[in-house]
Amino acid sequence: MERVKGRSGMGAAGRGWNQLPERARTLIPATILILLAVLYPWYHENWLAEFTNVPVIINFPSVSTAVIVIVFVIMAVGLNIVVGYAGLLDLGYVAFYAVGAYTAGWLASGHFQQVSFHFGSAGISRDLNGIHVNVWIVLLAAGLLTALAGIIIGLPTLRLRGDYLAIVTLGFGEIVPVFVRNGDNLGGFNLTAGTFGINPIDSPGFGEGLNGAWGGLPVNFQQSFIREKLFFYAALALLLITLFCSVRLRESRLGRAWIAIREDETAAAAMGIPLMRTKTWAYALGAFFGGIAGAYYASFKSGAFPSEFYFNISVFLLCMVVLGGMGSVWGVVTAGSILAWLNVEGLANIGTYLKRQTPLDFEVAKYQFGIYGVIIVLMMLFRPTGLIPERRRKLEMEEGVQDESVYGASR
Amino acid sequence: MSEQTPPPERAAESPAPQPETQAPPQQQRANGGRDGVILEVTDIHTYYGSIHALKGISLQVREGEIVTLIGANGAGKSTTLRSINGLNNPRKGRIVFQGKDITNDPAHSIVKMGISQSPEGRRLFPHMSVLENLEMGAFQRTDRQNFKEDLDRVYALFPRLAERKTQRAGTLSGGEQQMVAMGRALMARPKLVMLDEPSMGLAPIFVERIFEIVKEINQQGTPILLVEQNAMMALDVAHRGYVMETGHIALTDDAKALAKNEQVQKAYLGMD
Ligand SMILES: Nc1ncnc2c1ncn2[C@@H]1O[C@H](COP(=O)(O)OP(=O)(O)OP(=O)(O)O)[C@@H](O)[C@H]1O
Ligand SMILES: [Mg+2]
Repeated sequence: MERVKGRSGMGAAGRGWNQLPERARTLIPATILILLAVLYPWYHENWLAEFTNVPVIINFPSVSTAVIVIVFVIMAVGLNIVVGYAGLLDLGYVAFYAVGAYTAGWLASGHFQQVSFHFGSAGISRDLNGIHVNVWIVLLAAGLLTALAGIIIGLPTLRLRGDYLAIVTLGFGEIVPVFVRNGDNLGGFNLTAGTFGINPIDSPGFGEGLNGAWGGLPVNFQQSFIREKLFFYAALALLLITLFCSVRLRESRLGRAWIAIREDETAAAAMGIPLMRTKTWAYALGAFFGGIAGAYYASFKSGAFPSEFYFNISVFLLCMVVLGGMGSVWGVVTAGSILAWLNVEGLANIGTYLKRQTPLDFEVAKYQFGIYGVIIVLMMLFRPTGLIPERRRKLEMEEGVQDESVYGASR
Repeated sequence: MSEQTPPPERAAESPAPQPETQAPPQQQRANGGRDGVILEVTDIHTYYGSIHALKGISLQVREGEIVTLIGANGAGKSTTLRSINGLNNPRKGRIVFQGKDITNDPAHSIVKMGISQSPEGRRLFPHMSVLENLEMGAFQRTDRQNFKEDLDRVYALFPRLAERKTQRAGTLSGGEQQMVAMGRALMARPKLVMLDEPSMGLAPIFVERIFEIVKEINQQGTPILLVEQNAMMALDVAHRGYVMETGHIALTDDAKALAKNEQVQKAYLGMD
């Protein structure tokens, strides 16, 4: 009922808008959003940065905050493939983030001092020991390795359904950080550097060869004066690629198969959809983007530390998907941006503001998970399909689906 | 009851050749095995966990035939179909389709090989449109170029579906849903179609129409394995029939002979 009111409330402008072709209705806002994002470092520097006492939020997010927000949005969009598209509850997505981050640690740092291997590394002295592969290649490798991890986790678990699957993924999400923390002495071999983590990790760049090409490609992001901006633009590019793939995937044959499995697994099997393979693809592709994001983040922070890979990250990412609207790419981007920003600095700023303006002595940031919990509960009560619901998902939630397992056909 | 009652008339499995009068209309022994047998099920045992649902089922479908499987509720008709199409593989016995052993194959490879079905209770994708449902039926097909042709064939069989192609399947009437389920099975361009109770829950006029279409599909050259509660109608369109009783085949014969059989009349045709 609320929905109908909202529609008619838009009035004439809304009607004109609705008459535009479907393509235009997605392309116009998308283009505006992309332009706003691309120009952010510029108008932040020249305009937004001047405001240091904005009500409630105190200041606008810095470019470096924006990088972290984008990384988390990429992960949420990846998780959305698993949870939103394929309908598989995954409570251990942090494992993929960890695999991505550690792949960057292994392939682009001095961690393996016993060897010296350089492959297209940008701005790294040849004299340094360790494995130094070009970070762009590392990102791809991290994506692929994480996808493989997704398949390994997926294969034994996909026969399970619903709650059971959630519990097993939760287990995997816990095993990975424990392994990482204790992986400094695997029969004498130091794989993960234990609780210290791996650092420093190389940063992306274009090396001497391309230095200055096409209007000034930097040798190495970390060593540049505009480090934050470079990381921001590369992150934005990764996000756009992720979004493009994600949208295309939803419209693909595989995307159709996921919808069919979500709606009625038995019927899907009877149509000749290979259940195991189709679900495994969801894990692999979802993991792929998580791995890339994890590796990129590790490169941005120049380190992979075990203290970052806790269960709360999995829940946090799941919140982004649920709040945004399962299966809805734009919803997940919106909710992901808001939640990630709250997490990085938003809540702390709001806390400071409240302290300044009110007699309340209340550390808002301390209660962050309580606050996310309240947000989730409120959403589930008032808008269970998410901020920007996906059409099919919404119908499924409102009308239900066939949820009976296939006897012995889960392969 | 559950004993294998010796068939009162000669069982079709006997090596003796089929009487020519019962020959199906189309291309016998085209690409099947012996006597044009396209599907041969031999002594299969299928379980649900520890429940022994099929206790040794044997049946055959030949090129061009309509074969019907009738029997009381819970006899195992649907389970037989689920065993054939890989949704519930048998633990014992053998299923051979076009000379290939498919006993333990998964459902998706069996569909790809050419067995499609309209499952019990229709099982449409309720939030997809009619057209999208039909597209799902063609999921395993690799020959995309024939898609349009097959779609036209389905629309020719069920003109109603062409009118309703953008409507969500969940909002169709029961009869229309049945049409989608059958059309979806045909979109796989199958070499054998299995229909599980296509007349279930339909008004008599619709039931007749559905059986006409079953015949029409068969006359276009596709063999059909038809599970039915409506034994009278089923035996009327079929060439041969099998009567199931609690996991066994109790009787098998030509459809005409079965329709005249006293036991069958009493138990399934509601005649005294
Ligand atoms: N998923 C299941 N789990 C356990 N037992 C099952 C399951 N499906 C069917 N059965 C049992 O297997 C036996 C055969 O069932 P089946 O569905 O094949 O019967 P049917 O001949 O198709 O009956 P109907 O005419 O009512 O559709 C029944 O005893 C039934 O209870
Ligand atoms: Mg049945």
